Amino acid sequence: MNIPTLQRRDFLYGLGSSLGALAVTDLMAKENAGPLAPKAPMHTPKAKNVIMLFMEGGPSQVDTFDPKPKLNALHKTESKSTRGLETGFKFYVGSPFKSRKVGQSGLEMSDQWQHLPEVADELCNYRGCTAESLNHPEALFHMNTGSRLGADPALGAWVNYGLGSVNQNLPGYVVMTELALPQGGSRNWSNGFLPGHFQGTRLRPTGSPILDLHAPVHKTRAHQRAALEELAFLNQRHAAKHPGHKDLATRMASYELAFHMQAEVPGVIDLKGEPEHVRKAYGMDSKETTEFGHQCLMARRLVEKGVRFVQIFSGGWDSHDYLERGHASRIRSVDQPMTALIKDLKERGMLEDPLVIWTGEFGRTPDNNKRGGVYSLGRGHNADAMTMLLAGGGVKKGAIVGATDEIGAKAVDVAHPIRDLHVTLLHLLGLDDNKLTYFHAGRYKQLSQFGGQVIKELIA
Amino acid sequence: MRLITAIIFALTSLTSAADHEGERLFALKVRGILNAKCLACHGESGKKLKGELDLSSRAAMLKGGESEEASVVPGKPLASPLYLAATREHEDDWSAMPPKENDKLTVSQLAVLKRWIELGALWPDAKTQARYITEERAKTVTAEGVLVKTSGGTSEDWTYRRYKPEDVWAFQPVVKPKVPQGAANPIDAFVNRKLKSAGFASAPQANFRTLVKRAYYDLTGLPPTPFEIFQFRQAWDEDPAKAWSALIDQLLASPHYGERWGQHWLDVARYADTGGYSNDYERSNMWRYRDYVIRAFNDDKPYDEFIREQIAGDELADASLRRRITDWGKFQAARQNGMQYNDREVQQLVASSFLRIGPWDPAMVKKPQARQIYLDDVVNAVGETFLSTTMRCFKCHDHKFDPLPTRDYYRMYAVFEPTQLAERNVPFAKNENRTGFKKSQQATQRLVAFATEKHNALYNKQETSARAWYAKAGTKYLDEKARQKLPDEEKPPRHVGLSPEEQGRKKVRRQDEWIWQRRLERYQPLAQSVYNGPVPNFLNARKLRMNARANNKWRPDSRILGGGALEAPGAKVTPGVLSALGVPVAGAEQADAFQIPDALDGRRLALADWIASPANPITARSIVNRVWQQHFGQPLAANPNNFGAKGGKPTHPKLLDWLAADFVEHGWKFKRLHRHIMLSETYRQSSRHPQAAKLAVSDLNNHLFAYHAPRRLSAEELRDSLLKATGELNPAVGGLPVMPEINMEVALQPRMIQFSLSPAYQPSRTPAERNRRTIYAYRVRGQANPFLETFNQPNPNDSCEARVAETVTPQVFTLLNSDIMSDRAIALALRAEKEFDTLHLQVKRAVQLAYGRVPDKVEWERLKQYVTKMRAYHAKHKPTPVKYPTAITRSLVEELTGQPFEYEEILPVFEDYVRDKKPADVSVETRALADLCLLLFNSNEFMYVY
Repeated sequence: MNIPTLQRRDFLYGLGSSLGALAVTDLMAKENAGPLAPKAPMHTPKAKNVIMLFMEGGPSQVDTFDPKPKLNALHKTESKSTRGLETGFKFYVGSPFKSRKVGQSGLEMSDQWQHLPEVADELCNYRGCTAESLNHPEALFHMNTGSRLGADPALGAWVNYGLGSVNQNLPGYVVMTELALPQGGSRNWSNGFLPGHFQGTRLRPTGSPILDLHAPVHKTRAHQRAALEELAFLNQRHAAKHPGHKDLATRMASYELAFHMQAEVPGVIDLKGEPEHVRKAYGMDSKETTEFGHQCLMARRLVEKGVRFVQIFSGGWDSHDYLERGHASRIRSVDQPMTALIKDLKERGMLEDPLVIWTGEFGRTPDNNKRGGVYSLGRGHNADAMTMLLAGGGVKKGAIVGATDEIGAKAVDVAHPIRDLHVTLLHLLGLDDNKLTYFHAGRYKQLSQFGGQVIKELIA
Repeated sequence: MRLITAIIFALTSLTSAADHEGERLFALKVRGILNAKCLACHGESGKKLKGELDLSSRAAMLKGGESEEASVVPGKPLASPLYLAATREHEDDWSAMPPKENDKLTVSQLAVLKRWIELGALWPDAKTQARYITEERAKTVTAEGVLVKTSGGTSEDWTYRRYKPEDVWAFQPVVKPKVPQGAANPIDAFVNRKLKSAGFASAPQANFRTLVKRAYYDLTGLPPTPFEIFQFRQAWDEDPAKAWSALIDQLLASPHYGERWGQHWLDVARYADTGGYSNDYERSNMWRYRDYVIRAFNDDKPYDEFIREQIAGDELADASLRRRITDWGKFQAARQNGMQYNDREVQQLVASSFLRIGPWDPAMVKKPQARQIYLDDVVNAVGETFLSTTMRCFKCHDHKFDPLPTRDYYRMYAVFEPTQLAERNVPFAKNENRTGFKKSQQATQRLVAFATEKHNALYNKQETSARAWYAKAGTKYLDEKARQKLPDEEKPPRHVGLSPEEQGRKKVRRQDEWIWQRRLERYQPLAQSVYNGPVPNFLNARKLRMNARANNKWRPDSRILGGGALEAPGAKVTPGVLSALGVPVAGAEQADAFQIPDALDGRRLALADWIASPANPITARSIVNRVWQQHFGQPLAANPNNFGAKGGKPTHPKLLDWLAADFVEHGWKFKRLHRHIMLSETYRQSSRHPQAAKLAVSDLNNHLFAYHAPRRLSAEELRDSLLKATGELNPAVGGLPVMPEINMEVALQPRMIQFSLSPAYQPSRTPAERNRRTIYAYRVRGQANPFLETFNQPNPNDSCEARVAETVTPQVFTLLNSDIMSDRAIALALRAEKEFDTLHLQVKRAVQLAYGRVPDKVEWERLKQYVTKMRAYHAKHKPTPVKYPTAITRSLVEELTGQPFEYEEILPVFEDYVRDKKPADVSVETRALADLCLLLFNSNEFMYVY
């Protein structure tokens, strides 16, 4: 990135710091070390950054990476399961997709995945994770913040709190969503009780990438510079009357910081410089894949520049009905871009740095109930089983870890709750969940809430 | 022989002395340390041992684990891996234990462990241990701490554990302390005593201008106008003491006082107009509670009554109604219909909204879980709000640090188990503001009509195809509802005749119909309230109504839930209160003074009476601490929602107790307390202290209250101050939620709700409707107002005990670049231009309105020059005119098919919208002056109160 020469004033204010939701309240006290200054990990890390591809709605395990021939045999026969939310007559739903083994490693993927097999041997498919809530926002909160209540810090906030960010000119935690926010909205990337510096900065897909980043067009950069000079005049006279009130200087500094950020953010998010073949590889030339492709390419750029945690939300996986159409379409929209992302990272020799995670907030049931009196071929919410992919960052390659039962209803092997997944992710990043604590409301809080264990089977 | 016996006896008793200490140490301390820190992984029966190490017996301990080394070498702590691991200083050989940093042994625990090993690591039998323990429990106070009597924990160890007296300060009765000599106002007496002992004097009194601004902001959340400052100055010049006292009275009498202090209460109570989670349904007429709170402060309602009404308002109202209507059947009918409640009962019912203010939606949650989520929430809310006790901490187990057994959690839980949520029929009282009902209702009807028309068109299209299907099949046509339950082969396919896009649209329109239909509830006399009864068969947050005829013989099966899990019901409990506070429930049996009768009705009233009892040690301390906090920027006890061992200890415990006792003695009145505080010298101090540099070292956080800490305006104060300065503020009190303008990108941004997108945010049509105080702004849990959120308006899902005021860069973008700020700057410029003709006087007026003072010569000149320069600039730079859309096209991925589809949404408010003046609407001169106004609003002088 092209970092503009810092002004003398910036050094006076202890800047050269960060963009995004950077809080500068205690910046002055810490002199040149911003709140997002990099911190040493607690042990040797296997990953440096995280790219989390969040499939909102809950992808179905049996129709993506965890095929169940037994379930297909039971298609449309009655299910007596009392799990899930559906009530009344329930019946099993076989997968509309064929599955096949791919890559050297023989990972299983439904035939809807046209591109992903190319990187199968880089992937680890984890089948043992279990959620708790059957409700979208609570399950989203749980996967993102470790708590179902929606008021705690997000994983990305904890990671930045623990490690800081190596690039002080960008936010440490960047979130990209579709035009519509996922259920639960910004609480999913909130700093919770951690200081404001650690909240996720959402790069908005349309309009201003950050709200009100730019002045209205009739106010030029020179106009703004002049305004800042005038503001400094007012503030300096005020400060002279209130010596010892340290917040004043912090606020003054924040204006300079914002001025730099205005200039820098557009450069970072402008993908015009990326060659045509790269844009094409990410699927940016096709309507179905262009949005997710854009976001995946952006994720690579951000990670390349040192952003610690990048999260992309992609919705529409909540296939209660018309699973065949719904999942096929969702898979098509992410398949090529995420394959390109993994290839691109690998080709650049940087796949070991970021940990890439593909997951939803829960899995789906093997059965369904009738909708409008009709056998609807879809699936309900399932907290007992789900599927996810991990790549890079010190996880096993070409591996299947854990298992669900013979119809994919329940995790039965290497089964772990979400908190263990969180502890494992922190562990890979060189952080110990038990030591990564923050004192709030009379208690040392941690991401896992009450502690958890590392899922050793996932680690290479 | 005799001699030999004697010698042997002497030898035995000699060894016994050391043994005695070692055994006693084990029984009283080491056993507890092992239980708390080790056994979960190394010896809990039925669990796999970590590292094959078993620490549940001496023999196993001496055997060691997979290292094959004895974990304890009796007599040699420094050779004992158990000790070395616990020190966490020998990690090369023995990894630190327990693994979790926060669980590490304290210095004194380590010393105990070391001493015990030195003494031979003795492990007496159970009987001997029991003897030592019984001896110890007979003593209430020992060097180890005090015993606190409770209803009993799940283990004897817990029940008889000891507390440091300073950790249980809040559980001790309030005894009004003697006021120290030397100051007229008791507050000053207590504060000065501590200051003096720290070697400081208080700061001098602030000047009149600082004081008048401070008083206005603290009591009303609004700045004084230049004229109000002028008036105060005149009075001050005559008699400062009289002027100050009169100002306080005047502000306490202002209706804006209730708005300001109501906001503090709503922060703690978590006010929002919607229910949160997937549907985020509007809670129709929740605003009536908001206005109840504002009125309570304005009317100086005694705090004990305020407590009773919020916890048991419905019970109070119904008991009162019952006294008028003796016939049971008629009484039940009157409750259901609601129209016979008098104004007092109305406000009691509205007050009970407190019990359903938290985020809650039973959608996609099974009923028992949905109830548990509600009950856990309400129990915690009552605990945090009124008792400064975080109840969540003893839901799953006895409290780790405080004398709060999990039994007491479930006793409080049992108090609320019959509480059912309902929108009840409660007529509007005379003092409730119903302005705008008719217009707003019409606007809603328009939206209903649009959604219905669109939905019907798609439905009719579907049914035309359905008829064709029936005609072909030769069977009689049945409409969608009538044929729903039929087998597949006897009816047309679902969504017959509709394309996937049309299916999606039909669902969105149906959802919109529901949303807007439901919005019409606003104009019905409903209140968000509760009633007592069995859990209804079906819970849906969209519609929760009272069933007055429900079985009143029903009683909940109240139990302790092991680990907080519904699947693990344990011992039965009766309703009750927190036993550690030592305050009996009025009229309770001797045998269990903390029990509440398990009738269906009256549980909450008994709890409320207990909380509002003058004998309750926490209630008054809790509220005076909150009031102090809002006047001084920090509370006396650092965590207003947590007075337990882990909350901050009071900096001035005697002062806190004096204030609490005095508050109760004088009828739990807020206004008296404000006066008391504001008349003190402590409150009137300047924010500059002559010994600031020294204080910055010895008392960085001003725990001594040696000066008055400046504070940044809160989000609400900021917006309200802007509107006050520009003259746009509509000071009307109460009523329907208002829709201020928010960032248009956010307003029109799609937001997922269950099955659909929520309709776009439409601001109120006219400036007067929009420019109300911020407390009246519609508060949607799923959509924070971006302006307010940026300035730290708290998330209403969690109780906010203290606002934060972090400086983050997005604040700069909002203040410099947002339309909202640009509009305010133009409004201020227009006001200055309207009032004065020359640039010279316009600049002066702008500064005066923003700062409450006139510019000095240097400022005046420079600012004038700046505006002149900006005139030249704006003459060359033309702004783009603003247009508001009257409809937008929205796009959604149909969840059933994964296909995106589009639909049009209307925004009728923009058809005849009265917009604020935009840059393109005003002259070059106004734009130039507005540039200055914007900077004034951005400057620190505007943002801070001293």
